[in-house]
Amino acid sequence: MLAATNRFDLARIAQFPALYGTLVGLIALIVLLLCVGKVPLAYNVRNLIVRWRTSLMMVIAFILVVGLMTMMMAFVNGMIALTANSGQPGNVVVFSGGANDEGFSNLALTEVTNVERTEGIAVNAEGQRLASKEVYVIANQDVPVGPGQKPRRAFVQVRGLEDPLITSTVHNLRLKPGGLWFSAAGVEEATSPDVPGGAYVQAVVGNGIAGELGMSSPEKRPLVVGETFFMADRLWKIVGILDSTGSTYDSEVWAKRQIVAERFGKDVYSSFVVRATEIDQAEKLAETLKDSKEVALTAMTEEQYFVNLQATSRVLLYAVLLVAVIMAVGGIFGVMNTMFAAISQRIKDIGVLRILGYARGHVLISFLLESMILALVGGIAGCFVGMLVDGWTAKSTVGSGPGAAKLVVLQFVVSQEVLAGGLVLALVMGLIGGLLPALRAMRMRVLETLR
Amino acid sequence: MFQLTRLIIKNLRRNVLRTVLTALGTMVLVLAVTSVWSVLDFIDNQTADKANDFKILISDKNNAQGRLPRSYMESMRRGAARGSDDVVPDDYMTWAFYGGTLDPTKSSRENFLFLIACEPEKAPTMLDDLDQLGTADTARLNAAIEKMRKQPNGIIMGHEQLKLMNKEVGGRITVNGLTFKGLNLEFEIVDTFPKSAQRYGQTSIMNIEYLFQGIDEYDAKNKTKLASGVAPIAFEMLKVKNRQDYERLAAQIVNSPLYTSPAVRCESGGSAVSTFLASWKDIFWGMRWLLSPAILVTLSLVIANAISISVRERHQEIAVLKVLGFRPGQVMFLILGEAMLIGMVSGLISAGFTILFVNKFVGGIPIPIAWFDRFFIPQVALLWGLGIGGVTAFLGSILPAWSARGVRVADVFAKVT
Repeated sequence: MLAATNRFDLARIAQFPALYGTLVGLIALIVLLLCVGKVPLAYNVRNLIVRWRTSLMMVIAFILVVGLMTMMMAFVNGMIALTANSGQPGNVVVFSGGANDEGFSNLALTEVTNVERTEGIAVNAEGQRLASKEVYVIANQDVPVGPGQKPRRAFVQVRGLEDPLITSTVHNLRLKPGGLWFSAAGVEEATSPDVPGGAYVQAVVGNGIAGELGMSSPEKRPLVVGETFFMADRLWKIVGILDSTGSTYDSEVWAKRQIVAERFGKDVYSSFVVRATEIDQAEKLAETLKDSKEVALTAMTEEQYFVNLQATSRVLLYAVLLVAVIMAVGGIFGVMNTMFAAISQRIKDIGVLRILGYARGHVLISFLLESMILALVGGIAGCFVGMLVDGWTAKSTVGSGPGAAKLVVLQFVVSQEVLAGGLVLALVMGLIGGLLPALRAMRMRVLETLR
Repeated sequence: MFQLTRLIIKNLRRNVLRTVLTALGTMVLVLAVTSVWSVLDFIDNQTADKANDFKILISDKNNAQGRLPRSYMESMRRGAARGSDDVVPDDYMTWAFYGGTLDPTKSSRENFLFLIACEPEKAPTMLDDLDQLGTADTARLNAAIEKMRKQPNGIIMGHEQLKLMNKEVGGRITVNGLTFKGLNLEFEIVDTFPKSAQRYGQTSIMNIEYLFQGIDEYDAKNKTKLASGVAPIAFEMLKVKNRQDYERLAAQIVNSPLYTSPAVRCESGGSAVSTFLASWKDIFWGMRWLLSPAILVTLSLVIANAISISVRERHQEIAVLKVLGFRPGQVMFLILGEAMLIGMVSGLISAGFTILFVNKFVGGIPIPIAWFDRFFIPQVALLWGLGIGGVTAFLGSILPAWSARGVRVADVFAKVT
């Protein structure tokens, strides 16, 4: 998988030896060809300029292929970033026995009372166990539509919590300035008689979902603290917004567990997330919880859980790579066509070069360089086009398998690996597309070329 | 016209290498576009309501994973009809989801089984595409359903699921319930869905009455109610003739006093699928408006490049044709014809190959989107291939063809020594 950050870091080169090795190899090949080649590079450049229409069309094709691949990889990278940033070292997630996701996990309130007393769970300064007890629900929210339009609904992920302070400590999340966690009651009395139930449900929302909820409002902007949205026959008032961490929690609404249980009819816990006393004790704690005699539990480190959620990202990554390869193969045929035409137009040039004393190898290098220069220019331009999507947001799903998925709002991440991948693709296209025509040029006999 | 066509074919045969390279480039890119369009076409079909055979889903109003109590079932099947003027659905199917693992100590895909609990006899009419099966497959499916009627714990499993779990037809399994925690059920695999029902490779169905029976037995045995068994129904699916009936039926259900705790929502099948696919909307948008156009433009460029090279090399020949009496329009037709012939033939071949390769050899495009695990290339892709090849070739060659039309005999021969 790729590194999901857009910060340039030379140290990451060691993590992707195959990718950077190939890129360095291809660049080294160009440098070597430049050093070994005797035919002046200016000859090739001039020819590219003379045939500017053909050259331009090929460069555009390279830009399209590389730019598109960069964009698609940036999307997949964004998905990876979400899952990579969500798991906290030292945390252990606990589901009901056999379940590997919150969606399938049901822990009765009464049967897990001893889970948080398990030895190995960290304690905060107030002596409270760092165990976040959570219920996870996918809510239906009616989307306002115009007259005559079909009614629509959207899914909103809601997490009910017993104690938001404990949860925020366990998940290492903070609120944006100006926000508060919801109260112990989880509701706020309303002064207006129009508010259903006479009270607002207090909610803390992620950055991503604040944007999504705001898109269905008339102003089409992210909701802010103090604003409300309608869901499950109640008005929910935003009391705080999670400071953006690029995690899956960015796409969730948090509220008091009892309110969530009552509004959505789910009076159980979906999961426990507990903090081990030491980071390196998390796996041991997971094992202890799995061996619980009281109730059958599934436990794993939170990092492992989020790695499992990368299954969708992996499938999309393979799909993107497959599309990139197919497009590249199509592009290679285009490059070959161009280069074969360039050679057939310059048969006499080849003859003259040979008469002037240039060896067959020099001819090969000259034409191969021409193709690779075209690819390099197109590849670099394609990477620049692809970079435009860095930071864009999109909706997607991350999951570990059927039914085990989270709806997320992600940011495109154009990392240095994505750009390196784009350049490798372009240079491989240039190399393969240019090699056969260059070999043909090399094998031409002087007499034939001048006939 | 015949002469021009002969000339087009002759010209294409003159530079076989260029023709082959252009055709190969076209084929590969058409393969990519048809694959992408197949996914989008399938999704579009799933999210569109059919004018006749209108399906309706009744589910929990507020909780997408919520369940409805058994007490709702009988009245929902009648569409909450009370008076003689009320709309009564033509057909129904009750859905519940029973998921569990064969080994509670080991969570893996091989151990995980997800079953649709329903009335098996409703499968041929209420599950999409099963009414399209051939005679032999329909007979086989009906025989399997008959077995399930006689044997309440019988299940029909998708052939891919069967293979994944390394089980055989006739085998017995015990599933440790996860969606109904504590409810462990024994099943016998009575048959698989016919392979021609490609969408059902990973789908398995069980008797909903067997699920209810299991819940009742659990309650009786444990002297307490199974928490998840109180409301076991995921949704009720009804079928009506048309949209007007749907709208009346929806009003009937939503306004019925029978469904208050929990309240229900009523929506068309297409609308429900759209909601579930909403999180994929941006990916579909990218496939439709970025990926497909980019591939088509690349294809046009590949063809444009080949044709413009060809035109440049043949200025003298074009001048000779004009001297021989060919009109500019005919020259243009010649060039456009060459490009479109390559494009259309290779597009058609590519689409045919894609259908064979993806559907028969690979067994579908394996991209799991929501509950669809793989996508197949429809037969209409042959037309797409023809169209994509033809249109991109036309667009790619229109400028070179225009320039060929404008070749001036005097200019060309002035340069010939």
